[in-house]
Amino acid sequence: MHNKLYWRKLDNSAKIFPISTGKKYSTVFRLSVLLKEKVNSKILEQAVNIALEKYKSFKVRMKAGFFWYYFEENNKKPIIEKEKDYPCKYINPRRNNNYLFKVTYFDKKINIDIFHSLTDGGSGTIFFREIVYTYLELLHPDVFKEKERQIRKVEYNTEDSYVKNYDKKAKSNASTKKAYVLKGNKIGLGAVSAIHEIIELDKLKEECKRNDVTVTQYLSAVLIYAIYKQNYLKTNSKKPIKVCIPVNLKKYFVSKTMSNFFSYITLEAEIKKDGLDTFEKILEFVKKDFKEKLTEEEILKTMSANVKIGNNPFIKIVPLEIKKALVRLSYIEIRKYTTITFSNIGRIGIIGKYRDFIDYFLMLIAPEPVEKIKCSGCTFENKMAFTFTSILKDNNIEKEFYHFLQSKGIKVKIESNGVLDDISSKN
Amino acid sequence: MIYPQKINANKSDFIIKSSILASILLAIILLIINKLITPEIPWAALTNSGIVYVWITVLYAINKNINIAGHVLIQTIAISLLTVYIDYRLGFNGWSLSIAIPIIIIIANLTMLILTIVSHKKYIRYAIYQLIIVLCSMVPVILITEKLIEEPILGIVATCISILNLILTLALCARDVKEAIIRKFHV
Repeated sequence: MHNKLYWRKLDNSAKIFPISTGKKYSTVFRLSVLLKEKVNSKILEQAVNIALEKYKSFKVRMKAGFFWYYFEENNKKPIIEKEKDYPCKYINPRRNNNYLFKVTYFDKKINIDIFHSLTDGGSGTIFFREIVYTYLELLHPDVFKEKERQIRKVEYNTEDSYVKNYDKKAKSNASTKKAYVLKGNKIGLGAVSAIHEIIELDKLKEECKRNDVTVTQYLSAVLIYAIYKQNYLKTNSKKPIKVCIPVNLKKYFVSKTMSNFFSYITLEAEIKKDGLDTFEKILEFVKKDFKEKLTEEEILKTMSANVKIGNNPFIKIVPLEIKKALVRLSYIEIRKYTTITFSNIGRIGIIGKYRDFIDYFLMLIAPEPVEKIKCSGCTFENKMAFTFTSILKDNNIEKEFYHFLQSKGIKVKIESNGVLDDISSKN
Repeated sequence: MIYPQKINANKSDFIIKSSILASILLAIILLIINKLITPEIPWAALTNSGIVYVWITVLYAINKNINIAGHVLIQTIAISLLTVYIDYRLGFNGWSLSIAIPIIIIIANLTMLILTIVSHKKYIRYAIYQLIIVLCSMVPVILITEKLIEEPILGIVATCISILNLILTLALCARDVKEAIIRKFHV
């Protein structure tokens, strides 16, 4: 009997990534786990193959159609190799058995780099967690003899939750103002700097509680303050510092999709106009802006506006090659509407004995020629890893961020990939 | 350390700047030698334009983040064929075989050497191209033994530099080169 080849359309967000992606705009994010013992590559390979059978939405390759790209089943084995390159680099499917994710390892660390068309940070974490659970079960069969995890069919789908949930009538209030673009020389040779600030969570939470803000709000304010002090003040710019904060839509809508389902809010700090020249003023502004923008109604408006573009019948019938040319041209401008992105995927929940084998998790997002620094965060136990991925040669923003938290009595440990190594390995 | 060792941004900047400076010095030296020894043949113009061409290619390739070694290999073959063709069209005096191709081979080898040093830990991506360039560098040996070249000095120098480059690469990444050969040529 001839089995029909599985294929599916890209979700509304995913459509834009392959069209706009290039070697400089990789749209790749990375999740890493720091284990307490060295990684066994053979077992990791087995674990990835087992996890992939459970999450078949990742077992795909991307093909170009006449109007849009689409996913098609991939029967090759994924390549698992030692980490060599910089994080979040463009994944060339031809050198990766056509896969759109790449698992690498180094010493005690396992990484998964995922092309954003495949999924978002939230669902990427679910797949990565499955790899980590399976790896630990295979590595320590004696410890995990009694199944701690429920053996049940993994409940998920790959529906386009955007199309299912958007509101045709909603109108977006998106700002049309261009953002302040970070200034400075870029690092050469395609290098990417990764600096992780591992923050003691209980102290950070105490500080947030004292200021009546959430962790994301507090860190967004510190970030804006660091940009203001170390980059903005050196220029005469009057443009606002705009911080893009991705939002997991599964918190607002019922969805079991493993495809992308996120939107974003954009904080717009009018430094000059509103006199935001102290941390206290910036924090107040962030709190107020979050309150106004992080509502179901506002998020629905932003999401709906984006879905409407993808669903526009005129856009739909434009051939892919022409779409690519037009999108790449317009993206040169679109990218100038954000100064920096800060994506906090929150707590990565790990059950029972598995926790004993894990030190902490990391999340990284690929920087771009315009958005030269991108920030991300994730939490495990009492450690929050705040990461700067950057192509800027000067790391003053990262240093300011570190010193600010230290000055508030919050312990921060620094880890880095050594590209801008005068800040690496600080305790 | 939670990452493989990477070259520091300032260090790689320094290497590139020093390499550009070395290229400029080399160009000046070649110009002086040309003026002093054979002022009637302006061969230094040829070598210096070769140096400028290589730098344009390398910087372009770095900016476009492409596999520079593959690019160098294709350029080496393409320019060699082009010079032979130009020589043939001009009445085949043999300068393409005795001067142009050895110079192209020397520059290709020096470029590969710079790449190996600058792209620390990434040289495995270049290893296979490096080997092919070394094989191409044996062409002058054939030309010399077949007596197709009247002035074999540059050809000999080019071959020696290729062999030295190969030894250096093998010393740096013998195991990685073996893995690359197995991967690329598996059946």
